[in-house]
Amino acid sequence: MLRRFRMEEPESVKDVSELLGQYGESAKVYAGGTELLLAMKEGLVQYERLINVKNIRGLNDVTSENGSIHIGALCTHHQLETSPLLHENLPALVKLEQNVANVRVRQVGTLGGNLCFAEPHADPGTLLMALGAKMVAEKSTSKREIPAEAFFVDAYETSIEADEVLTEIRVPVPDSKSGVAYLKFGYLERPSVGVAIALRLNGGGKSIHDATIAVGCAGPAPKRVLEAEELIKGTSIDEAGAKILKAGEIAGHAADAISDLHGSQEYKEHIVGVLLKRAFQNALSQC
Amino acid sequence: MQFEKEVEILASREKVWNFIWDVDRFIACVPGCKEAKTIEAGKLYSATMVEKVGPFRVEFPTTIEVLERDELTRIRAQASGADNKIGSRMKLSLDVNLRQDGEKTVLGFIAGVDILGKLAALGHGIIKRKAEQVLDEFAHAVKQRLEGES
Repeated sequence: MLRRFRMEEPESVKDVSELLGQYGESAKVYAGGTELLLAMKEGLVQYERLINVKNIRGLNDVTSENGSIHIGALCTHHQLETSPLLHENLPALVKLEQNVANVRVRQVGTLGGNLCFAEPHADPGTLLMALGAKMVAEKSTSKREIPAEAFFVDAYETSIEADEVLTEIRVPVPDSKSGVAYLKFGYLERPSVGVAIALRLNGGGKSIHDATIAVGCAGPAPKRVLEAEELIKGTSIDEAGAKILKAGEIAGHAADAISDLHGSQEYKEHIVGVLLKRAFQNALSQC
Repeated sequence: MQFEKEVEILASREKVWNFIWDVDRFIACVPGCKEAKTIEAGKLYSATMVEKVGPFRVEFPTTIEVLERDELTRIRAQASGADNKIGSRMKLSLDVNLRQDGEKTVLGFIAGVDILGKLAALGHGIIKRKAEQVLDEFAHAVKQRLEGES
């Protein structure tokens, strides 16, 4: 049963930050509530105050600026799966959003809420990491950008400070020689493993100019796998195709996979390799 | 969940043994442990364990019972506690072994931890990882403290 709490209704990010500073751990930002309210109903967490940020203007827009897509943290998953701007510029993110949880969650759950709750079996963080996204965190007196790989600290933990608010996610638009794919595997709504890759070919389209690989869901937090990236960067497409199995093995180990009801550590490591190979082929077909 | 850990300490076995039975100093090395009390010296103790995983905080008022004690060699104990706020229970069985290795003492732990109730919803893997972190921090703190005193 949901215990009694007080709902604060601030009208600006500055007010939210001040409330967070004032009430500390007894208060929590309420963005979509799909994870938070479940945990509260279960009695796993208790807050005296929820700070409803849903009425703050300007935090639920998707815009394009200087080669980047700026996604307001309060955009719902549904808004993102139907955004024309995202369809045109970040189709991999659209596909991911179309498959987040279920239709009820997508209607009210927000991207910012998903990222800040940092549930290990969540999709968006892994793809955003491969896309080189930056999270914008604001408080009363300052604003900063946090690269996706520095945003996730551990299971349910991010680098957002106690009085900071995630306001925007900035995603660079991949160029025409790029391909991006996110693949996941799971039995139910929560994925056991998620793998993302962003590839960019060189001018002639015959070798891999750049590659970013991230794995998520298998371990406590999404993780970028530089060692796997280095293995295929600068190689010809054929060479990269041959090396992707080894890259998958490296990514599997790097995933920090945890044995749980979603699968054993070894199983998840294997699935990372399988998904990376498929994601590589998928991304390559888009270049 | 089963955990095993060994730590080599540059100190005599007597010193390590005495440290284990000095409740205040020992408890100071256990992350998240507070309000330790001796109920019956050498047999029964109480303490409160507080741990956090992200926003999830648990507080287990715990009773620790010493089941066996072989002087300078081994301690077998069990502990249990409940966090009624979040409806979860914790059970722990602990086997502590000491052996001399030259100038060092090897302090070994075998711990069996069971978490029951709503907390288990966080996932076995996450809880196991947290428990491993706690054990690592504890072993490091014991080593630092005892070697620092040498």
